[in-house]
Amino acid sequence: MNNNSNLLKGGMGVVLLILSAVILVVSLFVALTNLGSQGHASFNTSSTLPWGQPIATYLYFALASSGLGLLASLPLVFGFKQYYPVAKRCVFLAFVILISGMAVLALELGNVFRMLWAIPLNLQVQSAMFWMGVFYALDLLFLLWKFSKLDAGEWDSKTSKQVGIASFIGVLLASGNLALIFGMMSMRPFWFDGLLPIYFYFTGVTSGMAALVFFVYLAHGFSRDRMHPTLQSLLSGALPKMFAALIGGTLLFIAARAITGVYSNNPEIHLVWSDYLFASSLYHLSLWVGLLLPFLLMLNGNFRNQAGVQLLVSVLVFLGLFAERFYFVVGGQVVPLFKGTWYPDMIAYTPSLTEWALTFVGWSLALLLIVLGERFLNLSAMPDGVAESTSARPLAAG
Amino acid sequence: MAKWGMVIDLDKCTGCQACTTACAMENNTLPGESWQDVLFYHEGEYPSGQMKWLPRPCMQCEKPSCVYVCPTRATYKDENAGGIVFVDWNKCIGCKYCMIACPYGVRFYADEKPLIEPDMREVYPGQNKQLWSPPYQNPDEDWRRGIGIQPPGVVSKCTFCYHKVSKAPAGTVDFDEDNPAVKEYVPACVRTCAPKARYFGDLDAPDSQVNQLIGDKHGVRLKDHTGNKPQVYYLGAGAGVPAFTPADKGDKS
Ligand code: SF4
Ligand code: SF4
Repeated sequence: MNNNSNLLKGGMGVVLLILSAVILVVSLFVALTNLGSQGHASFNTSSTLPWGQPIATYLYFALASSGLGLLASLPLVFGFKQYYPVAKRCVFLAFVILISGMAVLALELGNVFRMLWAIPLNLQVQSAMFWMGVFYALDLLFLLWKFSKLDAGEWDSKTSKQVGIASFIGVLLASGNLALIFGMMSMRPFWFDGLLPIYFYFTGVTSGMAALVFFVYLAHGFSRDRMHPTLQSLLSGALPKMFAALIGGTLLFIAARAITGVYSNNPEIHLVWSDYLFASSLYHLSLWVGLLLPFLLMLNGNFRNQAGVQLLVSVLVFLGLFAERFYFVVGGQVVPLFKGTWYPDMIAYTPSLTEWALTFVGWSLALLLIVLGERFLNLSAMPDGVAESTSARPLAAG
Repeated sequence: MAKWGMVIDLDKCTGCQACTTACAMENNTLPGESWQDVLFYHEGEYPSGQMKWLPRPCMQCEKPSCVYVCPTRATYKDENAGGIVFVDWNKCIGCKYCMIACPYGVRFYADEKPLIEPDMREVYPGQNKQLWSPPYQNPDEDWRRGIGIQPPGVVSKCTFCYHKVSKAPAGTVDFDEDNPAVKEYVPACVRTCAPKARYFGDLDAPDSQVNQLIGDKHGVRLKDHTGNKPQVYYLGAGAGVPAFTPADKGDKS
């Protein structure tokens, strides 16, 4: 019924499509010409700080995708029926956001095509990065499979349920293992943390939620009136409460890491917090405006349910967590490792134009695919029973 | 089978960096791509301030974390080559995870901003898939072991001069540059060291000079808490690495 209410199927969709395509073409052009002429010397990374913003971008997308996958499992695996109206969109967003992240990663690697044979043929099972390849490939496959089931209207069939469970496990393995790529590095104490997978799950779901809220509103022209009543009741009920709890949990995690880090005498942890993170106004901005302010807004029962507030919060959290990923990746490397006085200070890093171009490749590709999906697929679909049971109920407008 | 090891006597090392230069010449590395470097450290303050230094090759760890993380087995430890850790440039995808995982910071991704101008890669543009092609090159090239000049997009590191060491007569345990019979097979850094602070030989041979030095003169491995168990040992005072202190925050203790 609410198919026609999807604004992206109309003129606004065309505008966004053109906009994202233009950004994609321009940023891809900048990235490819710079990489072609200067190679990775066009990055500001170095042998002392080998992972920069492209890796952080990939991490951001991969975890946002996992977060969306976990959100989709709320109705599809755990039976939280009120989340049905966003399930299909979650699965779709998880799929295209992961693809976009992978595209950025591919452009970051020194020899991308070699990866296609060198990883499967050499079976280095000791490497977390090997498992990252395996689990994210499976994750992608299950997301696609699950989406095709939902697209065929199979919400409750046995296979649909099984694929849903498989996908849920795939998401947990993929993002948990991604965390361990960092968390198992005992020579990098800022990252070394056995509980990092939990941190990644939590922050991943938070960024996934931010993406979901934003794109739900975008699809409906930022107006709740265009939405199906079931979706309206979700957005003024269970969802914002959960969003608030997720942001709060994320803040708790960051606080716990920060307190341990600042308290530690080990300069490889302590200095990262005191002289890099807390010395950066951008980090402060991302923390206070990107996470704390949204949390405070969402704590208030009146604010929480307003469409404008939700939209603002989703954008702030989106950006705040992007910065969080950046500072996480770079922070693990800023203290020079075994370099003596050749590196008397922390290693300075600001992304180059090419690295920014790669980030924009990721964002514009994701946007392009999302708008295409909104135009050609019915992402607001939900099981008939759910759609009917609530459509008759009167709703408090947001 | 031999297990190649290196011993560096810091009481003899003058910090002259001849080893660094010899390595760069031998292996045609770019400026900054110092497979063998000499690290300088300050410790303490007046009146007990110290200056320390130590030469730092790849430690060819017994438990090499770089090998464990490499998703393609491009980085591997070859027990048949004395336990040297190599990078196979035909397999490396340039993910740089090994650079994250090496506690000693001895791996290089030369596809980066040049350390000095002019950029040697522009002065001698790469041919035959090489990252750069200087006019004088070591004729030994073996990309499966990361020997020679690398292609773009891969990681490079010290090979213990495997292209020399592997040609030594079978059964050689002490690579002494003063012994005419083996001097051609001695790693470049060892051979060039003027005060004879470096020794190279077989850690598996009980009577080898390296084993005797480690035993008699209390050889230690750096950053031993990482558990990587280097095959490079240090002798003498000064084999302790001070914790990182930013330049503007002198040690106030
Ligand atoms: S020193 Fe680093 S590169 Fe060399 S073997 Fe050990 S972990 Fe690997
Ligand atoms: S950069 Fe190359 S050698 Fe290092 S982990 Fe990646 S594939 Fe292996």
